[in-house]
Amino acid sequence: MTRLGRTFLLLLASIGLLIGAEASAAEGPLVAAAASTRAALEDVAARYLEATGESVRLVFASSGMLAQQIENGAPFGLFLSANGAYVTRLANAGWTRGAPVVYAGGVLALFTRHGLLDVNTKPLAALRRALTAGRIERFVIANPEHAPYGSAARAALGDAGLWEKVRPLLLLGANAGQAVQYSIQAGVDAALVPLSLARAAALAQLGDLQLLPAASHPDMPLHQVMVMLQNSDVATQRFFEYLQSTDAQAAFIHHGLKLPTLALE
Amino acid sequence: MLTVSLEHDHPKLALDFQLPRGQVSAIVGPSGSGKTSVLRAVAGLLSTRSARISLEGDTWADTERGVFLPAYQRPLGFVGQRYALFPHLSAVANVAAALVHLRGAERQREAQAGLDAVGIGGLASRSPSALSGGQCQRVAMARALARKPRLLLLDEPFSALDRSTRKRLHVELKRLQAGLGMTVVLVTHDLDEAAQLSQTLCLLRRGRVLQSGSTPEVLRQPASVEAARLMDFSNLAKAEWVGTDREGATLRWGELVLRAATKVVSKPGATVSWTIRSSDVFLVKDGHPDESSLGILASARVTEIISMGGSILVTVSVDHSGGEPLRMRLRPGAVHRHGVHVGCRLRIALHPEAVIVLA
Amino acid sequence: MDWSALSLSLELAVWTLALLLPVGILIGRWLARTEFRGRPLLQAICALPLVLPPTVVGYYLLTFMGARSPLGTAIDAWFGLSLVFSFPGLVFASLLVNLPFAVLPVQRAFEGVSQELHDAAACCGMNPWRVFARIEMPLAWPGVLSAAVLTFGHTLGEFGVVLMVGGNIPGETRTLSIAIFDRIQAFDPGAAGRMAALLLLISLVTVALGYGALEGRARRGAGQG
Repeated sequence: MTRLGRTFLLLLASIGLLIGAEASAAEGPLVAAAASTRAALEDVAARYLEATGESVRLVFASSGMLAQQIENGAPFGLFLSANGAYVTRLANAGWTRGAPVVYAGGVLALFTRHGLLDVNTKPLAALRRALTAGRIERFVIANPEHAPYGSAARAALGDAGLWEKVRPLLLLGANAGQAVQYSIQAGVDAALVPLSLARAAALAQLGDLQLLPAASHPDMPLHQVMVMLQNSDVATQRFFEYLQSTDAQAAFIHHGLKLPTLALE
Repeated sequence: MLTVSLEHDHPKLALDFQLPRGQVSAIVGPSGSGKTSVLRAVAGLLSTRSARISLEGDTWADTERGVFLPAYQRPLGFVGQRYALFPHLSAVANVAAALVHLRGAERQREAQAGLDAVGIGGLASRSPSALSGGQCQRVAMARALARKPRLLLLDEPFSALDRSTRKRLHVELKRLQAGLGMTVVLVTHDLDEAAQLSQTLCLLRRGRVLQSGSTPEVLRQPASVEAARLMDFSNLAKAEWVGTDREGATLRWGELVLRAATKVVSKPGATVSWTIRSSDVFLVKDGHPDESSLGILASARVTEIISMGGSILVTVSVDHSGGEPLRMRLRPGAVHRHGVHVGCRLRIALHPEAVIVLA
Repeated sequence: MDWSALSLSLELAVWTLALLLPVGILIGRWLARTEFRGRPLLQAICALPLVLPPTVVGYYLLTFMGARSPLGTAIDAWFGLSLVFSFPGLVFASLLVNLPFAVLPVQRAFEGVSQELHDAAACCGMNPWRVFARIEMPLAWPGVLSAAVLTFGHTLGEFGVVLMVGGNIPGETRTLSIAIFDRIQAFDPGAAGRMAALLLLISLVTVALGYGALEGRARRGAGQG
């Protein structure tokens, strides 16, 4: 082996080992949470750290993906899903511990580029008009197959009789987060995304953000449900309880979620 | 003595021969005759269906008893057609590579001495890519001889070299072999090279031995029509055997009676093949003082003349003969002097010593 | 800058290289030197990860190694080890996915050592081990170096399989490429950009050093004349 090659490998090995020595060993509860709750949960975790000195490891992905990972043995201790159905599935297969808790409600927001919709008109009616006039070329939602916000968006559009019109224009985000990502970058005309993520991504600066009327989309699918998993420990239990405290609920509301049975403030 | 007995299917081999110790033996054959395979089998690089190979009593391969020494365990040296020098090692390192039983300074010394012995000691630190063909061949030779092997195998080692280099290396080889007294087996398709270098000659064709014996004997007396063809006897004809006496045999070629100084015996009336070298068909000048000493005289007509630089090939049709044309090799001067041209008539002589009867 | 992610990426790359290179040399040499009936099939299998989408590989690994699979449960029972959502699982997946990079260049390199050289070496009295160490390896070295550089670089950038098999667990399976993706998901392009630039720099330096070593060798070889 050349001297150069030898030195190179040694260098790499040392880097790896040195930094590895610094890297934190496994610590803190491992929490799997729906991507749409990122901003809210990061805030809650910060507050928890301040209050108790304990840090929490958060992993965000679409609820469906997380559920599948848990079923394949992912070592999460706590699961925060954007859809109750996934929690039920996990419970039936024996992966959960204790009863699930509805800790918040999701809110769907309609994002449109500036000037797309007529002002002073109800959002869905304005949407219908824009669609009929052909002013919309791209419409983003999260994938209805496994993202709860996606299926809620589909349900809302369906209820308003707009699904067939929107369908050929759809750009699907793999999860709610990606849907927002597309809204920022992909030059979309309209999107139905979680309010929590829209706020985190400051979508209001890039276009118009409106809430859909509460009655326009069935509440059930957007219940944010959390449950402890078989892998959990005492520290996880503590965090689980903190998530149900008023402190945490204040954070949820601040970041675009609502409390389960209360109206949005 | 090197004893070789091989049987194999791909390529087809079925042979059994022995080569004397301490001499240069040549294995000659056309391409596809299996001669390289034979050499590789002797080297231990090819394992055949059935084999019995031994050198001076040491058995290197014996399929019946389940013995097969791999090449690296046989005390031999091998030089191939394309030298196969290790490209990442210098010349002296190439030679040193073969000295597996030595270490450090001693190894270096021996390797340098090996290069000196083949006359290129000054090129020790050169890499093979910086050496000429002849120099590479010398390094390959030094490497093959480094372990002072009992057997040296050469697979057409000179065929990729130009003529003058080849001639120089021929001399080197003879010198080395004489000095070391080792057994050398040289595989070549060049009969002239074999004739110059070897004491024993073995003719190979399609995996079989056609003829084997001392080189001058084999060259002079082909044992069969196939052997004659291999050795480039261009004149082949058939004749009727008449009888034999103390001085040789009498044949009837058509109506022409021939005498041949041969030990071959056949039955009267049987058909035999005979041949004569093109250089032995003599052109008889008018007014030759002692014509009868030249051999059997006959008249012939020239049918074709081909000029091949230093010699002219003249094909003649001999009167009253069996009909096969004979080819004569003449000097350009002779052709001019006698005004030989297509269609002209001339007289030829066939000396009994030159007429070879094939078994 | 997620230092833990960087260290994970480097560790993964170094482990993969250290474990896979000997395997690559063994298999590569075997494929180059031995003729046997199943050879084309084995070559195809070694090349397979090149054409399979990483997510497909990840999917199969989850299915066969995950907590629900017989193999996964067995390994957990015997060794207390999980091959999914863990660093060892990443290493295992990485070994599979990088197999073509470790085998193919090595195979080509050993194929380049002609039969004539092998014959000559054997006739010099060199036993097979010596031939391997003194003749084959020095001549095949550029191929081995290529394999090392490719394997290392490819592992640094590996995303699809790591995401499927590792999840995104901080300190355990959140490699740099995953962290970059995660930052993008969090609408933090600044952090993502910084980490991406670092990854690019490391990859570039790796490949450059590799080629530099190859070049240096070629120059030394030519200069000997």
